[in-house]
Amino acid sequence: MQTAATALMPSFQRAASRVAIRRVPNYQADLAAILYETISQFNLPVRGKTILLKPNLVGLDTGGIINTHPSVIAAARETFLRLGAATVLIGDGPATERDTIAVLESMKLREFVGSLSGVFVDLNLDNVEHVVLKTRASRLKELYLPKTICGVDYIVSMPKLKTHHWAGVTLSLKNMFGVVPGGCYGWPKNILHWAGIDNCVLDINATVRPDFAIIDGIVGMEGNGPIQGTPKPSGVLIVGDDPVAVDATGTRVMGLLPEKIKYLTQAATMLGHIERDKIKQLGESVESVMTPFAVLEEFRHLSHR
Amino acid sequence: MNFIEQSCLPYLRNAQNEDGGWGFMPGAGSRVEPTAWALIALHEFASASSSEKAVSNAASFLKKVQLPDGSWPAALGQHSGSWVTSLACWSLLFSRQFESSLEKGLQWLGKELPGDSLTLWKIIRKLTAGGREAIQDDSFSGWSWTPGTASWVEPTSYAIIALRKGTKSPPPKLNQRLHMAKSMLYDRMCPAGGWNCGNPMVYGVAGEPQVGPTVWALLALQEDFAKPKIQESLNWLEHNAAGLQSPGSLALTHIALHLAGRTYAAAKLLPRIYDENNEVLWNVPVAAWSALTATKHNWLSVTLPNGGTR
Repeated sequence: MQTAATALMPSFQRAASRVAIRRVPNYQADLAAILYETISQFNLPVRGKTILLKPNLVGLDTGGIINTHPSVIAAARETFLRLGAATVLIGDGPATERDTIAVLESMKLREFVGSLSGVFVDLNLDNVEHVVLKTRASRLKELYLPKTICGVDYIVSMPKLKTHHWAGVTLSLKNMFGVVPGGCYGWPKNILHWAGIDNCVLDINATVRPDFAIIDGIVGMEGNGPIQGTPKPSGVLIVGDDPVAVDATGTRVMGLLPEKIKYLTQAATMLGHIERDKIKQLGESVESVMTPFAVLEEFRHLSHR
Repeated sequence: MNFIEQSCLPYLRNAQNEDGGWGFMPGAGSRVEPTAWALIALHEFASASSSEKAVSNAASFLKKVQLPDGSWPAALGQHSGSWVTSLACWSLLFSRQFESSLEKGLQWLGKELPGDSLTLWKIIRKLTAGGREAIQDDSFSGWSWTPGTASWVEPTSYAIIALRKGTKSPPPKLNQRLHMAKSMLYDRMCPAGGWNCGNPMVYGVAGEPQVGPTVWALLALQEDFAKPKIQESLNWLEHNAAGLQSPGSLALTHIALHLAGRTYAAAKLLPRIYDENNEVLWNVPVAAWSALTATKHNWLSVTLPNGGTR
């Protein structure tokens, strides 16, 4: 079972993580070429494997400003197929909109990916299996998780670069809330809020262990994210083999301090790195692409040392 | 009618598992929620399509997976009940089997309190930022998705519908509870009508209504259809209908608008979208709701197992 495959490891024992930043002016760019060129550098062990792309599909999004943009999802799928993956699935379980079909239609995912039959998995309605959580940060101890999540070889978390009105930022780690099935826990998955968002981020990621992350920061969202914020053109894709490091980098690109995001500091103890000297930066530097994001008053401290 | 009889009903009948239940998709393991929807839909067509056996087997499945406390789990193996208890009770009203199971379920539902009904939660909420992120009246509560969490529009609506006419042995203060739950629904209505999951306003920004919660809340408040606030929500649903592209939202919109006496031609649109081989587009609840668009809404006005009217 994939969820049991990767051992937790103290941060000081982990090799440096690799994160690449690419400038991408808009969604009309040749994203497949950019992603293939970038991800090829990582020599990922994906040949012959079943990959699950886990985009951030929050709700109806006709304007392409809430969800991971369909052109990025399609480009990532093409990239992993080119890299030799046997199957590349796309799956998510929207948190508040129960009509997943309506979400997919609103963002015209079919126009970018082609037929979704046999490709897209509604993680809210998938068959489930009982999973004991690998950490005890929250009081949950166990969850029922989609069989698809438990069965694939390789998981790629694909969030959008957004602020979040409860968690500060929502990137590849917070994006994994989408694997918790609404069909077991409702819409929204309120059990995660009551057990503590930060602690659940750790428990879910320690258990499911996404292998790679691709942040759609071409147009992000600032302010009252993840749904009602303001579009923020940032012109970047951020990818890497350590979702914690990718999120730390994304947070810095937003002009915020990852060391002040509670779940990132927790994740840095056993899942990955947030320290800059433990992250091998590829492509553009953080400073060259930094675009300060507005945050709600509660999160002003995230931008001050 | 042809579309329903030639597509939806066969889809549902063929998707029933040997244990009598349905999964969300054909071939998936049985779960309570899709089983309840399939049971309700097939019952409506029992005389026309010899679905009686399927309905009886479905009721037996529900009886078998009921938890000892009377509730039903959202996924088999879970040890605590959830919102699907309302749907299981609702569906068992039609089977005329397992009356004691139904009664136990309704009793559990009447006693189940959400976490946000607790005084301690209200105090904590007043003392923390939560008090100003969403503008809502915390004195109202309804039902939660899972035990010990907050009240939300959809599970509250399901519970109101299931409990609407009370049980043979009404739990204490049930009427007051239903009144409070209805007040909660009104409180959580979006400023321009309609409902989303239950956040009408966050940090000063109005929430967008969604089809599903709007339809379920309207069905739970159907005795108030003449009220202006409800008319506003029906107007939103009607206005929103023009852009719908998913079969589930089309079917639900059709059901609510028709119940309110408004016309909406989902029946013409659904066959164009139908594709039984596309598991992304079509699943058991969607097929059930689509079938229910062709009924006279008897399933919303049910009869007690003992012959009385609920």
